[in-house]
Amino acid sequence: MPLINMPEFSGRLLDEFAARGTARIDTPVIQPAAPFLDMAGEDLRRRIFLTESETGESLCLRPEFTIPVCLRHIANATGTPRRYCYLGEVFRQRRDGDNEFYQAGIEDLGEIATASADARAVNDAMQILENLIPGRKLNVTLGDQAVFEAVVKALGLPGGWQKRLIQSFGNNAHLRQLLMTLASPQAVSGLSPELAELLKQDEAALIAHIDRTMQETGYSTNASRSPREIAARLKEKQSLAETRLDGSALLLLSEFLSLEMPLSEASAALAGFADAAGLSMGMALATFEARAEAMADLGVDLTKVTYRAAFGRPLDYYTGLVFEVSRDNAVLAGGGRFDRLMTLLGASEDIPAVGFSLWLDRIEQARAR
Amino acid sequence: MSTITIALPSKGRMKEDASAIFERAGLPIVAVGNDRSYRGKVDGRDDIEIAFLSASEIAREIGAGTVDFGVTGEDLIREGLADADRKVEISARLGFGRADVVVAVPEIWLDVETMADLGDVAADFRSRHGRRLQIATKYWRLTQQHFSGSHGIQLYRIVESLGATEGAPAAGQADIIVDITSTGSTLKANHLKILSDGVILKSEACLVRARKPEHDGNARIKALVEAIRKAV
Repeated sequence: MPLINMPEFSGRLLDEFAARGTARIDTPVIQPAAPFLDMAGEDLRRRIFLTESETGESLCLRPEFTIPVCLRHIANATGTPRRYCYLGEVFRQRRDGDNEFYQAGIEDLGEIATASADARAVNDAMQILENLIPGRKLNVTLGDQAVFEAVVKALGLPGGWQKRLIQSFGNNAHLRQLLMTLASPQAVSGLSPELAELLKQDEAALIAHIDRTMQETGYSTNASRSPREIAARLKEKQSLAETRLDGSALLLLSEFLSLEMPLSEASAALAGFADAAGLSMGMALATFEARAEAMADLGVDLTKVTYRAAFGRPLDYYTGLVFEVSRDNAVLAGGGRFDRLMTLLGASEDIPAVGFSLWLDRIEQARAR
Repeated sequence: MSTITIALPSKGRMKEDASAIFERAGLPIVAVGNDRSYRGKVDGRDDIEIAFLSASEIAREIGAGTVDFGVTGEDLIREGLADADRKVEISARLGFGRADVVVAVPEIWLDVETMADLGDVAADFRSRHGRRLQIATKYWRLTQQHFSGSHGIQLYRIVESLGATEGAPAAGQADIIVDITSTGSTLKANHLKILSDGVILKSEACLVRARKPEHDGNARIKALVEAIRKAV
């Protein structure tokens, strides 16, 4: 089928990509559904077009490009670093807008100099949009998953709580609710007196008890969680039962999450926040600052970029930078760093990765206005 | 005068209980032809037609507006229809067919009592076991709403299960289940426990009306709903 509905600026876009030293990659429209559901969660299921192969394999129409590009890179076993670009149709069930539309973007895989690779991704997205929509004001928002994780770690919260907080970063309603919950003690309930007694003894006795019960109930052969794992988490929960998030930690977290300022002021503000709070945030601040400097070196006007501390994506493969370019509340480009994705998808070694995608239908609308 | 079509369960306790309520409401139902017939009428009311359907078909037909009313479980309405409240109205709760749609985990997961606990376990699952936490259920929609919507848990996979869902964890097909239970005894027999905030829906049989414009201000529709409400 000739792609007659392709945006008329597609050619220009491919030239922009080529000028940035990227290699074009194409992926099949029909993809195995499992990687998308595994990575993005079941919530995606109602937003993609699912079907089944004759042999019962779950298939879907490509809902985005990042995962297929990464999978193809792993399958081809080509070395890194590689800079890929793509342009093609994606398919999603949307309440407003068409169910099939074009996306294009760049995925930068295996570049070890992460600060400059981050800066290049943001700069590429901004430049390309400025070239396509000249003279219009674009809003750029930037966040950093690693900075939030560093704040949580530096507060010295219990391990389980750190995980919960990090897990909900980017989902602000849920994060606020979680902070409220952690502010009051949570007793461990549902334990028999016998078990409560066991808990006071050493962990080995508890593990033996769980193991025995599993065998008696015929559950053990297929048990997904081992007696050791259950016992360890129960002990951890018990140790937290009397604790609660203290007032000052709660205040600091809320204060951090409300930070919003031009990126030009953000490094100093974060350092000031850490100092005032007496928190040691390690590498995260240095990485943040190095990225901002690399952006300035590339000619990005940092006063035009907004840093928002609470800006993130609640998916566990994002590891650092997240950013968005929008105009009139329509997101035209979104991207970030996803260092955990390649190994989750089956790569045998860690491959740092950063990229962005452009929503061509929204760019077309913005150009028409 | 247009005919009002009511879909009723075609067999079992649900059929008997529904008939009893209509009888008490002064709307005695008789089969057209023989007892096994799938058409019925209300004695003395030529303006009402009864269609005997399976419970899940009833949910679908009310959603599509091909019948005016139906008697079916709320679980089937909420699971079967996207935007259920926009398409249908629950006119009366009938007090029978009570059952809960619940999240149940292996009893031996001593550390898991709440959805928050489950969220912790799900977050770690992939790094510990090389795959996402798996949930066996036939309730895709309700599970997603409860996990993703109400509790912000994204990292799990649904494994479709059309029967004997309670056996899935012991058989290794899934880690936990979302299923319907009336007494909880089957769950207990399979060494599963319900989370303290794991009741997704308290379901019962309902008289459900398809939202149709021609129902507005229709006195017969209003009278029928009131008669059923009084009979409960």
